[in-house]
Amino acid sequence: MGQYIVRRLLQAIPMLLIVSIVLFALVNLAPGGPLAQYTRSRRMTEERRESLMRQFGLDKPLPVQYIIWLAGNDWMEVDTDGDGVKDSYGTRKGILRGDFGFSFKTREPVLKEIWERLPNTFYLLGITMLITGLIAIPIGILSAIKQYSAFDITATTLSFMGQAIPDFWFGLILILIFYGTLNNPITGKALLPSGGMATIGADFDIWDRVKHLILPVTMGMVGWVAWYSRFLRSSMLEIINLDYIRTARAKGQSERKVLYKHAFRNALIPLVTMFALDFPYIFTGYVYAELIFSWPGMGRLYYSSATARNYPVLLGVLIIGAALVILCNLLADIAYAYLDPRVRFE
Amino acid sequence: MARLGKYKILTLMVTLFFVATFVIGCATQETVDEPPDQPVVDEPADEPADEPPAKTSITILIYANPAEFHGFNIGSGLEEAIGEMVMLSLAEIDPDGNFYPELATEIPTLENGGVVMDEETWVTTVTWHLRDDIYWEDGEQVNVDDVIFTWEAMQAAEVWTASADSIESLEKVDDFTLIVTYAWPEPEYVTTFGGENFFIYAEHFCDAEEGYWTWNCNSEPLSAGPYVLEEWVTDDHLTFVRNENYYEEGKPYIDEVIFMVVPEESVKRAIMDEGDADVHYWPAENHAISYQEEGNGTKWAVSPTDRWVMKLFFNTKAWGEEETPHAFLADKRVRHALRMAIDVDTIIEDIFLGFGKPVWTTFFRPPFNSCGIPRPEFDMAGAAALLKEAGWEDTDGDGVNECHGCLYAEEGDLMTAEYVIWSGYGETLEFAQQFIAEAWADIGLQTELSMLEDAVLWASPDEGGTELAGKFEIDMWDSGYSGVDPTGWLWDYFYYAEESEWNLANWTGEAAEEVGALIDELYTVDEDYRMEVFCDMALILEEELPYVELFSTLEQFGLSDRLQGVKPTTFDILTWNVADWTVTE
Repeated sequence: MGQYIVRRLLQAIPMLLIVSIVLFALVNLAPGGPLAQYTRSRRMTEERRESLMRQFGLDKPLPVQYIIWLAGNDWMEVDTDGDGVKDSYGTRKGILRGDFGFSFKTREPVLKEIWERLPNTFYLLGITMLITGLIAIPIGILSAIKQYSAFDITATTLSFMGQAIPDFWFGLILILIFYGTLNNPITGKALLPSGGMATIGADFDIWDRVKHLILPVTMGMVGWVAWYSRFLRSSMLEIINLDYIRTARAKGQSERKVLYKHAFRNALIPLVTMFALDFPYIFTGYVYAELIFSWPGMGRLYYSSATARNYPVLLGVLIIGAALVILCNLLADIAYAYLDPRVRFE
Repeated sequence: MARLGKYKILTLMVTLFFVATFVIGCATQETVDEPPDQPVVDEPADEPADEPPAKTSITILIYANPAEFHGFNIGSGLEEAIGEMVMLSLAEIDPDGNFYPELATEIPTLENGGVVMDEETWVTTVTWHLRDDIYWEDGEQVNVDDVIFTWEAMQAAEVWTASADSIESLEKVDDFTLIVTYAWPEPEYVTTFGGENFFIYAEHFCDAEEGYWTWNCNSEPLSAGPYVLEEWVTDDHLTFVRNENYYEEGKPYIDEVIFMVVPEESVKRAIMDEGDADVHYWPAENHAISYQEEGNGTKWAVSPTDRWVMKLFFNTKAWGEEETPHAFLADKRVRHALRMAIDVDTIIEDIFLGFGKPVWTTFFRPPFNSCGIPRPEFDMAGAAALLKEAGWEDTDGDGVNECHGCLYAEEGDLMTAEYVIWSGYGETLEFAQQFIAEAWADIGLQTELSMLEDAVLWASPDEGGTELAGKFEIDMWDSGYSGVDPTGWLWDYFYYAEESEWNLANWTGEAAEEVGALIDELYTVDEDYRMEVFCDMALILEEELPYVELFSTLEQFGLSDRLQGVKPTTFDILTWNVADWTVTE
């Protein structure tokens, strides 16, 4: 297995390199640019524009920009004052050495911008995934066991609704009901907060944190519960009709043991793959939930960077997201082989 | 390893992941360092323990995280608002357009000898006297060194400001006297070191090595203003508390001001309705009017004068061309006809819900609004007649005019154009675009409607930008100038347009040269003469009509009923007088 992992990791390097070239080209070749907010005011003299282009590293040809983004410029002489003479070595180290550049908006390092928000997204989506699993798995199993029962039909209907409801609309409706309409009968205040991670200025309180999670988690998990429960139901239905399940029953094993030891564990295997593939969401964030519930996470950073053409931040989010996708695919394959003895590493 | 063992390991890993998730979420997120040492304040002697007054706090809802504490970088437009909380400048402008000193003792003028112009060389000196009773929050005195330090840091960072090109030197006479020498009379000298973008930074505190763009003062400013930044949680909120060292006795009146980031407009409205916030910053028109109508503990406030004017820009040249005239927009009769067909009052009342005022000249704001340019009439028949006179008429009955003796197109060419708006404004502008397009369709102009995001509309030509490349026909967005004096704004539009390598002149038309030639005349200390020049410009612009001014969009805010003293202004940012705000319970 060690060899397999090493081989896959080595294969990931050229893949990431290709992805980085494609992402860099797509981001830079899209119409528009980061200086548009300046040019709107018309106060963009040629000198000012050239100065900003130099400060942002946009004055060089695209291939050179890519090499600097990748490998830095501390090994090459650069013109720092714009007089046309190379006067010192650059200071950029490049993403290969962990330097993702600085944000055009705040001039802060990209990794700092990401790190300020990543734990918040990790927190929100982690809890959402947990709740999703706790609800979707029992629903999926019961729907399969009690196929075409009232429970199954209800679950199926709700699942279709969950998948069909536009999540941004659902989020607003949740706020309207639980913040704008329903009040806490004791305090007289809104039943649940409209957004944010915690009450501003209040001391740490676990219940306060939980209250701030309820609505965004509900919005996020509705679609996921629908999807995962449907998937698990199909997977279970396939398995419970297989010969080895019939054999287990024929050997006199209890229905509970048959379902949970033999059927569920095997039905869970494809679900692990799905989970691993959804995991990178934790990095790129959940834009709608973060916008509607004022959640300070990666989704908003990604969105605002894209609209403002904040290339370094946008590329930082995208390339780390891409690396995570590749890594999670590898983990999914490993987990798959680990859980299913029929699959062998080759 | 047994299968059961594998599952146990997997279960353990998943459990650890979720535990880590929750632990991360529960971690506190303080981001602002400890405030600098406070000056020693004598503790009051043992006094009867009165009940301390309840802490007053207000919440301002903003749509995005401000980038930092200065207004010269790419930001959200909110940098100035938070800057006013903690920073000061030499002079500011009140809501009526009058200058008032802030760090300075008075406004330098010709009359009080603060402004002196050499009649031969035109070199002009401005002498500023600073107050000697203003301190930073750490107890250090604010002085001339801080002003010079700020200016030099900005120059080193290549920050461009309106007066940057005209300043020859800054000379410190003593700790509280500064002489600024301009190479020529600078009309906007009062706000060279003031206005909404400019703040004075503390020389002893800001890390000059790091420089203006990246120094610590951008995120952890040392305050000389009414408040001190206590906490900044990125993308979530900023909390400001009273600056006990503030120079105005007894102010600010409110103990705590929180800027809460809420991106979604309707959520902001819900929070205001619940009474959980006091200011809805820049609400959309439909929300703004509901603050007035519903009366459920809210009200709205607008600026007495306006800054942003919705304009139609015509490309007088063919799409993407520098010389070839546009088929019909190059003819000023067509431009006048298109203006005549727009019912501005209906747009204001029915689409912008009354949040606007008709505007028809660039010089619509005091003190330069006395040129007597008459308001054009809305006249569809007149517009059609003018188009016919210009050689554009629908003779085949398909609803689209053809060229019949027009100036710049082939006979029979159809009158069609692309009409672009800025997507960032919101749906009201979309409705206005459709309304205008329908009116134009009634007089035979067929338009193709589209929207572009900011980063494309205003990007430079080599970035794929449309407007600066002249790759548009008609577009509509709002524009305006800060401060009182439009000289710098006119310079940007007309003078610079002539010099630029970009196709700016496409949308300033023939007027660019004429107006540009008059701009040099504005650099004088003779205010009467300047007024004459502005009126000459107004006449040229009215005649040539390079762009159509439609209406001003008001600076509007939703407020809670309990919040008093808020005075929105076109000349500065909402928080310009935050020290005067009060709350009534």
